Amino acid sequence: MFDTVEAFYRPGTVGEALRLLQSGKGRARVVAGGTDLVVEADRSIRFLIDITHAGLSYVRRRGNACVVGATTTMAALESSPAIRALASGILAQAASNCGSVQIRNMATLGGNLANGSPAADTATPLLALDAEVVLADARGRRKIPLPAFYSGQRKTASSKVLLVEIVIPAPPRGGRWSFQKLGRTESDISLVNAAAGLQLDSQGRVKWARIALGAVAPTPIRAVNAENLLVGRKADKAALAAACDEVAREVKPITDVRASAEYRREMSRVLARRALEECAALTGCSL
Amino acid sequence: MKTMEVRLNVNGEPKHWIIAPGDLLLDVLRREGYFGVKRGCESGECGACTVLVDGKPINSCLMFAAKAEGADVLTIEGLARGGVLHPIQEAFLDHGAAQCGFCTPGMILNAKALLDRKPNPTEEEVREVLAGTLCRCTGYRKPVEAVLAAAGRAGRKPAPREATR
Repeated sequence: MFDTVEAFYRPGTVGEALRLLQSGKGRARVVAGGTDLVVEADRSIRFLIDITHAGLSYVRRRGNACVVGATTTMAALESSPAIRALASGILAQAASNCGSVQIRNMATLGGNLANGSPAADTATPLLALDAEVVLADARGRRKIPLPAFYSGQRKTASSKVLLVEIVIPAPPRGGRWSFQKLGRTESDISLVNAAAGLQLDSQGRVKWARIALGAVAPTPIRAVNAENLLVGRKADKAALAAACDEVAREVKPITDVRASAEYRREMSRVLARRALEECAALTGCSL
Repeated sequence: MKTMEVRLNVNGEPKHWIIAPGDLLLDVLRREGYFGVKRGCESGECGACTVLVDGKPINSCLMFAAKAEGADVLTIEGLARGGVLHPIQEAFLDHGAAQCGFCTPGMILNAKALLDRKPNPTEEEVREVLAGTLCRCTGYRKPVEAVLAAAGRAGRKPAPREATR
């Protein structure tokens, strides 16, 4: 299947990986877990650059932020105490739904993002957490917000650069979080997924809100209008319902073999409501 | 075609193979005679090609063989020692946990990785790992019972026979 591949490299550093990527002149592809790349079977690939030995598998605290190396596997994320403790564990939960146990031993966080799938399970919680990604190229490193990394459906900023790290800033104090996924089975690709975060003041009014959805637009998205509707309002049933109506307006789903656009739009509303209700319940707010 | 070398351990034996840079581990293992590694969907869905790499179950159809450089690979052929079956294999026999047998190597290796990490798993944990191997004969209950029995959980009665066809 990959009989056009002429060389397989296992660089030990990011610098070496970047040099190989550059000398590959567009015919080199970075491989981490390989779980998407192998299935894709792109016959234009001449050189494979395996970055799983380049020192990018880690979960660390840096200041108030949690930083995750790009080749950290889904299995490592689900068992990491830091990731499980972060934001009610929504990223750990998303990682644990990301395919079978075998897939999760191979698939990486960086790969899930760089593959550019709008249904990537880990992208949704990362959007809700205001995550940033660190990109490296010959000139150095730069940090950009996750939404800027996605330039379109299955397009990311990573064709000539290397995604090396994901930075998750400390979530707001007292924030509550939820991740919801709808798939044919628990570990199948998402038909729709959603993540939400809410911070309420002592009167039960929303101080801060995040709503992110996957598989309902060309890229994973934040429902910013719905978030803005919530801020300043009491987190009651009417407010959450209004926000979820707005979510259903904001999504741009398509029809494919797995679900129709209409079904995805309706499920966006349902998953957003479940996520927001879980957040509100976790803050002790009775609906 | 370009070739490269890969050095690894398979079932405890050192191997030095000449491979193509784009070869997948599944193809190389079968070429070398490890036919317990089954070719199923070749897209990471069915789990029939499962092997343990450094103790962790992976789909060998999705792993480039070059990635296995320096790794310890365990296939179903390496589980029995000196003609003595592994306790999980014994439990699969005792519980009639194999039907056509195609998914059985993957199930047993997935179970071994779980029990090595967690000697007394819950039924839920067993089901979670066995979900990584599709059985198209549709018999999951007996494999679940077999794995729990192998884990040394006492006092479990055999469940009522399930309809399989």
